[in-house]
Amino acid sequence: MRYLVHLALALVLVVPAAAGAADSLKLRYLGSISTDEKDGAVKTPEGVACNDQGDVIVADTGNSRLLRYTFQEKNLKGGAVLKVDQIGAPVRVQYGPKGDVFVLDGKLHKVGRLNSDGSFAGFVEPVGVTGPAKYVIRSFKVDSANNLFLLDILGERVLKVDSTGKVLSQIAFPKEYGLISDLAITIAGDVILLDAVKSVLYVSRKDAAFAPLTKDLHDFMNFANYITASSRSGDIYLVDQDGGAIITIGPDGSFLGRQLALGWRTGQLYYPAQVCFTKNGEVFIADRGNSRVQIFENAK
Amino acid sequence: MLKRYKMLGLFCALGLLLVSTAAQAQDNTAKYRLKPGAFGKLCQDCHPGFEEKLKKPNVHTPVKKGDCTGCHNPHTSDFKKLLSAEPKKICSTCHPSVTPKDAKSVHKVVADGECLKCHDPHSSMVKNNLLKPGNELCLDCHKSLSGRIAKAKVQHAPVKKDCLICHAPHGSAKEASLLKERITALCAGCHKTDQPIFVKKHMNYPVANSNCVYCHDPHGSDRKGILYNNVHKPVSAMMCNQCHEEATSPNALKTKREGAELCKGCHNEMYNTAFGKNRIHSPLLTKQACLSCHNPHAGKEKGLLRESPIQLCGKCHADTIKRQEMSVTKHEPVKVGECAACHDPHASNAPLLMKQESVVDGCGTCHDWMKHSTHPIGDKFKDPRNKNRNLDCLSCHRSHGTEFKGMLPFKTVTDLCVQCHEKFRR
Repeated sequence: MRYLVHLALALVLVVPAAAGAADSLKLRYLGSISTDEKDGAVKTPEGVACNDQGDVIVADTGNSRLLRYTFQEKNLKGGAVLKVDQIGAPVRVQYGPKGDVFVLDGKLHKVGRLNSDGSFAGFVEPVGVTGPAKYVIRSFKVDSANNLFLLDILGERVLKVDSTGKVLSQIAFPKEYGLISDLAITIAGDVILLDAVKSVLYVSRKDAAFAPLTKDLHDFMNFANYITASSRSGDIYLVDQDGGAIITIGPDGSFLGRQLALGWRTGQLYYPAQVCFTKNGEVFIADRGNSRVQIFENAK
Repeated sequence: MLKRYKMLGLFCALGLLLVSTAAQAQDNTAKYRLKPGAFGKLCQDCHPGFEEKLKKPNVHTPVKKGDCTGCHNPHTSDFKKLLSAEPKKICSTCHPSVTPKDAKSVHKVVADGECLKCHDPHSSMVKNNLLKPGNELCLDCHKSLSGRIAKAKVQHAPVKKDCLICHAPHGSAKEASLLKERITALCAGCHKTDQPIFVKKHMNYPVANSNCVYCHDPHGSDRKGILYNNVHKPVSAMMCNQCHEEATSPNALKTKREGAELCKGCHNEMYNTAFGKNRIHSPLLTKQACLSCHNPHAGKEKGLLRESPIQLCGKCHADTIKRQEMSVTKHEPVKVGECAACHDPHASNAPLLMKQESVVDGCGTCHDWMKHSTHPIGDKFKDPRNKNRNLDCLSCHRSHGTEFKGMLPFKTVTDLCVQCHEKFRR
């Protein structure tokens, strides 16, 4: 009898966990960021970053500026304009582990670093790049040790640099790739590449060569342009630009689910560009085509 | 002595063939319990037209033997014409390996099991039971090629003679496009690369191992030397050294600069315009740069594009092309591959590389809005669903098409209208 009770208890605990794993993201709409603090409209934002302290920064690309907000206990505040003269085309943003902000300029193909007060601290210029010496940065990610991983589409590689720009290592793109549109860093320090054309993810563990992580994902997405890895669950999230959706991939490369759909109404996306997650389960999506950032909570 | 062994071998082979044929015939005779002597003749009693077919010079072996049951079931079948197996697979029961192992290219009709597109299963006036002789058969399907060949001012001799001089009809183990050999080796079979005339025509550059079809159209063209009809100016001016090292250099084929930097030398204005914009098309920033889309020497397509725009753009943006293919209403520029009608393939300040930042202006280059609709659109009218969006053409349509008429995102016009006019929702 006791055995049966234990079995029933185990089933009650395990089954929901398994169901959650099968579709680990369930987005519920909370609100939108549509204006700055003076009610000026946001225009085609391509980037959004958030941290666990409730800070949110938006790359208001169409207006060539950054906007700062706080989102705490489901309350959005702020919208102060951060005009950085050196960065005219902000397209992707990320908070560093020390509170500084990294911004990719889509025109210059350079990553700028802002101090936590918003002042410009300079561009991260890779030092000691060889074979080839030239590079074009399409995207970047910052890890918990404040190292930057730069996606170099000219040199067909990922450059790992420290906060001063010194090159620590480089990993060549896989052979016969289609178009590498972004990269992500997992909690284990693995580097993941997103191939938008072939709809495949590649992984490099401990600086080893890239190998496929997933099968062809064409059945699940259209054209993905952004990838990020959860710092908690290990899941990987893709922004399907053409399909207007967020795709969840498990750490083993399995497809876990697809959330949201293309459209103009609240809760729908129109050519989204970047997504970020907080420890509280809030999810911010730069909904470029709808000229807003949408805020969701993960209601799983 | 050797001759005697050869003769013995031949007799043995013939003997085996006869025994196996007889055995097969007996098998089918037993299988269908045919009347004595009925094998091979009974069918013709009701299908008299076959007498004529049998008179043709090339008769399919089972037909010649009268073994109609080799392919047909005399009683019932799940397949048309009482075939004893699936039509697409029946030929392979006797001809299992018409394509080479690890083929680099396979003729689509072969892969699809559509043998009857080329062969007559009973008999033919043409060798190998082909439906038509020579190129006539190939060009029946490859009609666009047929037109090009006929119009070409400069003809490639083998093309007129026989497609099979260069192509294998079923599949090739060595090259794409069913070519019998690697391209360079195939061409060198006729065009000796060490001949002075060949060397001179190629400005002394060591091109013997280069891919000939990068510059030459093997099916003929309007240009001397069957160069593709669109030739890059330095090539037509025979100024290879404008881009490449001198012919005498040990690295003669190496370009003087890499990537877009090389092209910038002449296309300075275009380069500066593109790189001055906020968004540059990604391929332009890669190692391949301009060559991601353009052929540096010569090409069939305008602008020296590597392929037709729909194929070229579709290589990366397959989802967009697929959407158009599935769309009920076709947007003309997308349908014909004129992606550049709306998008700038090099760079733009607008998202999605749109040529014009304003959607209304972009669509207005082809569509007269006031004739189409009087619904308010433009900068002054906000989308009720999202105050940060102006009402524009894309508020109601999707430019690459949808599964609904008029490129609408909803099944009916009512469904669309009530998205904003909610009070009319029923």
